[in-house]
Formats: sequence, C-alpha cells, structure tokens
Amino acid sequence: MILIGNLLIVSGWLLVLASLFLLAGFGERFTFVVAGLLVELLGLTLTALRYRSLQRGPE
Amino acid sequence: MTPDLCLLCIILIPLAATGLALIHQGLGRSRSAAHAMLATLCSLAIAAIVFVLIGSSWMGFAGGLTHTLHLAGKSIDWLGAEPLFATSLTPNLTHGLYPAFVLAFGIFAAGLASLIPISAGTDRWRLAAICAASALFAAVVFPLFAHWVWSNGWLAQLTPLFGLPAFTDLGGAAVLNVLGGLAALSVAWILGPRQGKYADRIAIAIPGHNIVQVLFGCIVALIGWIGLDCAAAILFYRITYPEILLTVINAVLSASTGCLAAVVTTQLRYRKPDASLSANGWIAGLVAGSAGCGLVSPLATIFIGLIAGALVTLLVETLELRLFIDDPGGAISVHLGAGLWGLLAFGLFAPTTGSRPALILTQLIGIATLLGVMFPLIHILHRLLNKLIPFRVDADGDWQGMDIRELGAGAYPEFVVHADEFVPR
Repeated sequence: MILIGNLLIVSGWLLVLASLFLLAGFGERFTFVVAGLLVELLGLTLTALRYRSLQRGPE
Repeated sequence: MTPDLCLLCIILIPLAATGLALIHQGLGRSRSAAHAMLATLCSLAIAAIVFVLIGSSWMGFAGGLTHTLHLAGKSIDWLGAEPLFATSLTPNLTHGLYPAFVLAFGIFAAGLASLIPISAGTDRWRLAAICAASALFAAVVFPLFAHWVWSNGWLAQLTPLFGLPAFTDLGGAAVLNVLGGLAALSVAWILGPRQGKYADRIAIAIPGHNIVQVLFGCIVALIGWIGLDCAAAILFYRITYPEILLTVINAVLSASTGCLAAVVTTQLRYRKPDASLSANGWIAGLVAGSAGCGLVSPLATIFIGLIAGALVTLLVETLELRLFIDDPGGAISVHLGAGLWGLLAFGLFAPTTGSRPALILTQLIGIATLLGVMFPLIHILHRLLNKLIPFRVDADGDWQGMDIRELGAGAYPEFVVHADEFVPR
C-alpha cells in the first residue's frame, strides 16, 4: 500500500505537469491542477493509513 | 542589492538554528538532551561541508550555468551546473559578489532545513543516521528545489514557459520549511513512535523536559528568522529597503499572532494555555509568514499568523491521536502544515497587478511539486539510507536514553532521576 500511495503521489504531480504542457485555457489548467493535488492527497492518505496500521500493530 | 545589509542578515541565520535546537531538545526527554544538541551541531556541520562541496553546484544561482531539459519545444531549467567544490568562486569572482552571497546563504539555509527532521526523530534517531540524512539533504534535496525556486529554475520561469506568474517563496517557507517538514514526516514514519508512547492504542503524553528552554528558543528563533527572511528576499527577489522593513514587521506580527492563536485555542480546548503548543504556534507563525514576508500587508500577515497558530494545535493532535505519528517537537505540524498554509496564503493575499486566480494556481503548482516530487524523493532516499544505516536505536537504547546509549554520558548527570528507570522491561 505504501508503494501504491507513493505512485499515486507521483501520478498526481504528472497530472499537474501535463496540464501545464497540454492545456492552454486557465479554467482547464486550474481544474487539472486541483485534480492532481487531490490525487496526491489520496496517495498521502493511503501511505499514512498503511504506516498507522504498522505502528498500531495487528488488530 | 545592499551587500552590507545582506551579509548582516545572513550572519543572523544561525540564531534560527539555535532557536529550533533549543525547542526540539527541550520538547524531548532529559535523557536525550545532549544527544539532540550534538545532533543539531553535527547536522549543521555536515550540511555546510556537503553543500559547499556538492549542493552549491546543483543549486547554482540566477544567471549561472544550468542543465536544461528540452520538452515539447520548451527549455526546462532543472538543475544547476556550476563546478563542484565551489571552485568557480576562488580564483576570481567572475559574476561579482552575488554567487558568494548565495553560497554563504545556502550553507546556513541547508543546515537549518536539514535539522528540522531531528525534531521528529528526537529520543530514538541514531546520530550516524542523522549525519547521513543531513548529508543527503544538503547534497541533493535542498539544492534541487532551491534551484527550481531561487536560481531561475522552472518554477521561477513559469511566466516565459507557461504564461503564469512565477512561483514565489520570499523567505523560505517552501525551500526550507516544507522540505524540512516533509523530511520530518518521512523520518517519523520510518522510525515509528517512541517506546511507551502508545499503550493499548492510546497515546500517552510524554512532556518535554525543559519548557523554559523551549520558550527561550522561540525568542532566539525570531531574530534568526528575521535574518533568514530578509537575506532570502534581498538575494532572490531584490526587495527594496522599505520592503526589508516590512519583512521585519511581518516576522514579528506573524510570530505574535501565531503564538496568541495557539494560546487561545489551547485555552478553549483544554481550559489552560499549553506552553509547548504555544511555542509551536510562535514558530508556525514565523514559517507561514515567511512565504510572503516582504510583500504581504501587515493586516494580511496578522490573519496568516492567526490561522497558522490555530492550525498547528489541531494538526499536532490529529497526527498524534489519529495517525499515530510520534513527533516530539511538532516539526511536521509546524514546518510542513504552516509552510503549506503560508504558500497558499501568498496566493490569496499578496499584492498583484495580474490575475489573482493565476497567482493562486501558481502557488498550487508549487505545492503539488513539493508533495508530488520532493516527498517521494525524500522518502525513497530515507528508506534506502535506513537499509544501510538503521535509523532507529535498539530497544534498550530507547529506554536508556540516547545520551547514555550513544554518547556515554547524560546531559544532567547529577540532577535527574528517571521515574521509569526501575520499571521492569
């Protein structure tokens, strides 16, 4: 899950980068940058949840 | 640029490191106090040497040599290409004094940022691992992002590349604090909590051993922070004399409002002001205010500081109680949380002649780069390093304290008896 989380974090940034290179309209760029940030936050959340379960120990 | 004033400001920066060191060793346990201070010194020393040898080459400076990547018809400036070992500085100052100023500033800035994670690893992070992590930070992580933002890298060139305003970080909220905070998060995850921190999945408070030092550290940090904010803004944004004065005013205002917001928040939540959280609020205010220190109005700075102070108390609680992250010095909340807020707040409140949404978008791109590139890079480097040099001290060392375990002598040999020294393990 840590790997998936980190991949999601990087994917979010690639979305942001793609919006800069591929899109010209301000609204489209803004939407894609916010979407990229949300994907990064999802990745961070997954990583955080995995580390939390490691540190809490088994249920 | 005003060279004398810039030099004076650079000389003040070590006081910020002193303040942070006092804060994180005071918030740790007495049995690891000497270790925390020595770790800070070693981190500063290694960061200085490694930055001069390697990091300064990759950070470069505006107008210096760079590595460029050609992508979709655009030239992306992604890394400095100055000679290693700062050899270009010694024979003759071909670019004038500017590269020497950037090098002098970078030595202190890299050291300051590299000691932030020590706060999250207090009481259990081994000295050898701290030194190695500081070296990696000063050699790779800090120069890379500092080049992007401060040395005319791609984040500073968003206008010619993509028609957006440049990503702006006047005082180092992103380059120092958010980077340091991300490293602190990575270290806290790798190390895990201190022994005895969580019992039956309930967090147990481990109070700092010297709150007086913590509060004294806040005052010292303020002086250093004023130097840091002014030096960075003079060097990389060429702020004018009135803007330098505004930087000083804003630093004091942001620290004050951050601290008072934390005092009020803890008073409302716990019925008494919490000294350690209030100290964290002070530093959080400084961190958040540093993003726009010389440009944002005092009124906006007051608002930024208030939000930072309140935010940090909530973040400390969330990380400790909900995410099980043991961060004794509150580095993640203070440097990462407040730093990100400061960067966003610059987009919201900085004076602009162009479009406000475009400025916000630019700051969001910077934040996305910090989270999406720098955090995975830091985390991968830390995990690899952890395989070579284990970060965490063994279980006995955890109980014994880092002073005895790693240094062979305690910080307060005649004055402190640990209540749990005689508890069966």
